[in-house]
Amino acid sequence: MFSFTKEQQVFDIQGISFGGQPGMHPTVLFAGLFFKGEPDFDDAKKRLLIVSNLSTQTGTPVIPDLFIRKKEYITPLLSFIENEMPQTQPFSIDVIDPLIKIEVLGQLAERKLLKRTIYNSIHIGITPQEIDALQQHTPEMVIVVTFNPKDASPDGKIEVLENGAHLIDYGLLETVRLIGVEKILIDTAALAPGENSGAAIAAIPVMKEEYGLPTGCAIHNVVEKSKWLSEFPLAKKTIDAASNSSIPLFGGDFAIFGSIENAELVVPLIAWQDILVSEYSENYFGISPTISHPRRKLLK
Amino acid sequence: MNDEYYPWGGEFKIGALKGCVAVVLLNIQYNPSENVAIYGRLKTENIGIEKIIANTISNPSLRFLVICGDDIRGHLSGSSLIALHKNGIDKNHRIIDAPGAIPYIENLQEKAIRRFQAQLSVIDLIGEKDTKKIDAIINNCIRKLPPSFGEPYIAIRLKPEVAVNITDKRALHSRITIDYKGKIRKRGG
Repeated sequence: MFSFTKEQQVFDIQGISFGGQPGMHPTVLFAGLFFKGEPDFDDAKKRLLIVSNLSTQTGTPVIPDLFIRKKEYITPLLSFIENEMPQTQPFSIDVIDPLIKIEVLGQLAERKLLKRTIYNSIHIGITPQEIDALQQHTPEMVIVVTFNPKDASPDGKIEVLENGAHLIDYGLLETVRLIGVEKILIDTAALAPGENSGAAIAAIPVMKEEYGLPTGCAIHNVVEKSKWLSEFPLAKKTIDAASNSSIPLFGGDFAIFGSIENAELVVPLIAWQDILVSEYSENYFGISPTISHPRRKLLK
Repeated sequence: MNDEYYPWGGEFKIGALKGCVAVVLLNIQYNPSENVAIYGRLKTENIGIEKIIANTISNPSLRFLVICGDDIRGHLSGSSLIALHKNGIDKNHRIIDAPGAIPYIENLQEKAIRRFQAQLSVIDLIGEKDTKKIDAIINNCIRKLPPSFGEPYIAIRLKPEVAVNITDKRALHSRITIDYKGKIRKRGG
C-alpha cells in the first residue's frame, strides 16, 4: 500500500470522484454493457438496478461502460441512456471505430449528454477528424490509453503521453490539452500474457507519482486472454474478478472490469480491498477516507 | 516444432509440415484441413500482425496467406494486414493506408516486412464465410506446388533502448522508489 509524494489530482463527474491518495476515495468501477449481439435493453435495465443496489450497499461507485459496436446501435443506445438511466448518472462510451466515435460525439452533443460522458478512449490511433469532433463536442472526462506498440513498459507508456512515441505529432497529454479536456483518466493499457502484461499494473504507481493523475486499467483483459485458464472454468471466473484488486493495491483509482454480469463478484471484492488500503493509509499516512468510502459504510 | 518453424509463438494450430498455405481467421468459425501448414486468429492490427509476419517468414515453405471471415470491428486487422502487404510502413512505422485504429509495426525490421511481401501471396477473402469456397481456394493454392522461398528468415524482436540501468532491487522499476512504509517518490526526486 502506497502514498505518493506528488500532489494527486481529483476529478469529479456528477458526484463521483476519481483520484487522490490511495485510501481517500473509493475505487471507481466501470461495468461493461452491450459487448455482444443485439443490445438487450431489458436485461441492461435489470443489471443496472442490481449494480445500483450494490453500489449503495458498499459505497463503491460503478459507472456503466456502454460498448457501441455498430453505427445502427448509436441511436437506440443513446436513447437508452437518455430515457432509462438516472439523469445524474455518468456513463462512459466505449467505441473502437473512429467514424462511429465521431458520430456518437455529435449525437451526445445534440442530446446534451456530454456533461455526463466519459470518453473511452483516446490513444495513439486518434485521427485529425476525431480531434476536430472532440474539440467541437467536448466530453466532461476522457480516458487516455497509454498503449505503445514498441514498448509496453511503464517508460514506454510515459513516452506515449509525453511525445506520442514519435508515432503521432503530439504526446497524448498535449493532444488532450488541445482538445480542451481537463479531466483525464490514465489507462495503463493491459496487454495479453507474453506481451508484458504485468507492466499495466507496475505502471500505475509510476503514472501517479509522475503526473498525479487518476490511473487504472482493464486488467481483467489479461485473464480473458490467458487461454490456458479455460481448463479451469471455476478458477477463471474467480481470477477474472480477483485481478481487479491489484489495481487499488498498487495505488490505482479505477478498474474497467468487463461485463456487468460480474458486478456481484467484483463490487464487494473492491470494497473489501479499498477497506484494506484505507486502514493502512490512514494509520501510516494520515489519509482519511471520504464520507462515501466503503470503510465508512461497511465498518460501523 | 513450434519453436523451430514459428519462433514468435502465439495462438495457432499446425497442419502439414511442408504445406504452402497459412490461413488467417478473422470473425469466422472454421477449422481448415490438415493440408494447411498453419492457421490461427488475428485480433489486433499491430502486435497480432507482427506475429503473423514473423511466424510466416520463418517457414520458407509458406507461400500463400489466406485471410478469411468478417473483419474485426474497429481494429480492421485483416484489412490492415492486406494494406501492409501491399504498401509497407511509413517513417513513423504506421502501415500505409491501413484502416485500423492503431496500425503500427514497431517490433520488426523493415527487412522482415520486405521479406514477407516477397515470400507470401495474399489471398484476400475478407467477408467470405463460406467454408467450402475457402477450402476450394486453399486447395487451388496447394495444387500450384510453389517452391520453397529458400532460407528461413528469423525475425529479431526489436527491443526498446533501456533508459536507466537499475541495480537497486527495492525499486519497482526505473521510475520510482518505495520506502519500507510504502512512500513512493520519483527516483532522484
